[in-house]
Amino acid sequence: MLKKKICLLGSYGVGKTSLVARFVHSMFDDKYHTTVGVKIDKKVLTLEGEELTLMLWDMAGEEDGAPVKLNQVKDASGYLLVIDGTRAKTLEVARSIQQRVEAEIGARPFLALINKADLRETWEIPDSTWTELTDSGWTLLETSAKSGQHVEEAFFALSKRILQAPAEEDEND
Amino acid sequence: MKTTDDLFAGLDLAVFEEQPDGAWHAVGLLPDWLALPAGPLDLLDCFPMLEVFLPDCDFAKRSQSDTWTEPDPRNPGEELYLQAVACGTDERKFLALRTLPGELLTWQQLAHDVELEKEKVERLSRELEQKRREAERATEAKSTFLAAMSHEIRTPLNAIIGMADVLSGTPLNTEQHKCVEVFQRNGVALLNLINDILDLSKVEAGHMELESTDFDVREVVAAAMEVVEVRVKAKALWLNQILVPGVPFYLTGDPNRLRQIIINLLGNSIKFTDRGGLEIRVECDPGNPSARAGDQINGWLRFAISDSGIGIPEDKLGRIFESFSQADASTTRKYGGTGLGLSISKQLVELMEGHIWVESDVGKGSTFFFTAHFGVQQDQTDRKPVSTERTSVEDLEAGISGLKILLVDDSDDNRSLILAYLKNIHSHIEIAENGLIATQMFRKNRYDVILMDVEMPVMDGYEATSEIRKIEAASGAKPTPVFALTAHAFADMAVKGYAAGFTELLTKPIRKVTLLEAVAGHSSSGEAVTHAAPAQSMEESFTVMVEDGMEDVVPGYLEKRRAEVPLYQTALAANDFETIKNLAHKMKGTGSGYGFPRLTELGSILEQAAIGDDAAQIGEALKQLAGYTARVKLVFP
Repeated sequence: MLKKKICLLGSYGVGKTSLVARFVHSMFDDKYHTTVGVKIDKKVLTLEGEELTLMLWDMAGEEDGAPVKLNQVKDASGYLLVIDGTRAKTLEVARSIQQRVEAEIGARPFLALINKADLRETWEIPDSTWTELTDSGWTLLETSAKSGQHVEEAFFALSKRILQAPAEEDEND
Repeated sequence: MKTTDDLFAGLDLAVFEEQPDGAWHAVGLLPDWLALPAGPLDLLDCFPMLEVFLPDCDFAKRSQSDTWTEPDPRNPGEELYLQAVACGTDERKFLALRTLPGELLTWQQLAHDVELEKEKVERLSRELEQKRREAERATEAKSTFLAAMSHEIRTPLNAIIGMADVLSGTPLNTEQHKCVEVFQRNGVALLNLINDILDLSKVEAGHMELESTDFDVREVVAAAMEVVEVRVKAKALWLNQILVPGVPFYLTGDPNRLRQIIINLLGNSIKFTDRGGLEIRVECDPGNPSARAGDQINGWLRFAISDSGIGIPEDKLGRIFESFSQADASTTRKYGGTGLGLSISKQLVELMEGHIWVESDVGKGSTFFFTAHFGVQQDQTDRKPVSTERTSVEDLEAGISGLKILLVDDSDDNRSLILAYLKNIHSHIEIAENGLIATQMFRKNRYDVILMDVEMPVMDGYEATSEIRKIEAASGAKPTPVFALTAHAFADMAVKGYAAGFTELLTKPIRKVTLLEAVAGHSSSGEAVTHAAPAQSMEESFTVMVEDGMEDVVPGYLEKRRAEVPLYQTALAANDFETIKNLAHKMKGTGSGYGFPRLTELGSILEQAAIGDDAAQIGEALKQLAGYTARVKLVFP
């Protein structure tokens, strides 16, 4: 069976764990639990008639003095870059992570998720910024772990990209 | 000899050893926090973290992995924080898994919670700041709107009141007189209302700025009392003032706003008082801590205005300082007024760092108190007696005759009004319809005085004035007095106006006496004319409240006194002091009765002067009589 490792990266408190919980367990908890280290989960899905096991590495959010551990990302097939629409600062963190990944371990397929779409009226980031990001080659998706909006779509879309990406040493069990 | 199992027993670790085939086998018993399926197992499949850790670790140096999180098999919903430690020799490789203390999470969670909370507060502050800015912009828009509206309202009102003034000075029959008086009375009432609303809006928008000038508190109180004097007399009330010894006379602050507060409070008291009287008391604020400490000269004063009126019920005391609120809604119908005066007074008092309150006894009367803080001038030696002497219109006109005046105004009505005001001064007046024409004329001619409208097409008053200043500077000429005629009443106008080079700003509606005084005060050829009292009180003291039931006789009485002026003059020319004495005696005896204490006073002066054959004194008093009878306005109940 095809197995792919996907990392969830971004600032703390943007909803990485909640996105995984929504996708894997169809659950949502409004209370914030910080993630220690990394939490690894598994989800099997069928994509274009083929079974695919996703290993979801939900990594502790980046914060000052504790950058994302790139050694855990290097064998990933792709990643989700999660941004909190209500906190402009988390977009900057995401940009910085994306640049470090690119520079230090090479380009990987990724999607940027602007999470907390259920709080869209309090978003701090203007629409013009999203346009700029799209123009610079990012693929953006508005998600809400709370309502479930676009959560499955995000994981499926990234999986598709990974499968379409130029062949790398795939792990076949 | 101890077995490997013995070595790790009791350490609460899950230990695995690598087998020759590469598989990992448990050493000894596994701790109960680790739930692994029975039988041979793929450790890397159970703990994907090891896939990242093992390839890079150094067994000889005891590498340890990053932390990861696993569900706690003993407590559903809880999590464990795990770490792998690799150790071994050249022959044997061990991998130990251990749990890390839960405090790790507690601290991290706490730090993140605090940080997220901080971000939230910052976000809310930003939103609040944004809202505050929006509100400020709205207030700004409101005040711009008010400025524009006040201009729009004052400009036609200027023409109405001014023309009514001019009309009242022409020969009219009694009925026509009454009509003109209605114009004047209602025009002034409307103007006062607009001023009140503007004041209140300015304070609310934070645009009200207090002046800081030297003044004599006694003059302020006297001027305020003078304004209400006719209303006090019309209701047959008495009005006392008490200046408690020790109060510093010479202060620094905003005398006009202080006077406004006192007039508002006195006016309010008069309105609700039908018998007895009023008293205004000024003392050092006994509630001020430094006053209690014996330091009297500290600029904290307390004013108390007491009346013997209807009083205010206790449950209404708190509300009376709110805008548009009188103690009883029916009050407005019975006593009139908008209730804005007290609200404005409260705001002004607060700008003066003080507070305002009222104590009242229903049926017995009320006392309005307010405190205010002023600067105290160093020199407190008594400089001059309080004087109420004024310059008459005739004196003013005589002082400024023969001037060459340039009148710049685009409105035909306004030009006619100013020309009517200046009719008696025998001046040479030239007219320009906008600022550009004015500057062109100014290049060719010199004027003694320029009267400049502010808002005009083609070139406005600001631009024209700064142009004129440039022309003067280039030729080294002395600056010509330029008076701005503006319907705006905002402080920023003054700043802009003085920056443009205006000598003085005259706010429309401009009364004749105000214009004459301003011109007399600044014109280069005119004689210096003293300004003994502020223009406002001068206007007000020419207003007489006609008592109920006297409406039919008072205008006729006044008309007769006006008609007598030439008789006095003829008698004076013939040195006929007997006729003067008789006429004056009659006027002295009747003036106050008709509501004209000033006529009684003048009658007394003329009578005494006639007895003493003092022609000069008679001449002076006659001028004042002519001025007074020509300008006094009657207000009907």
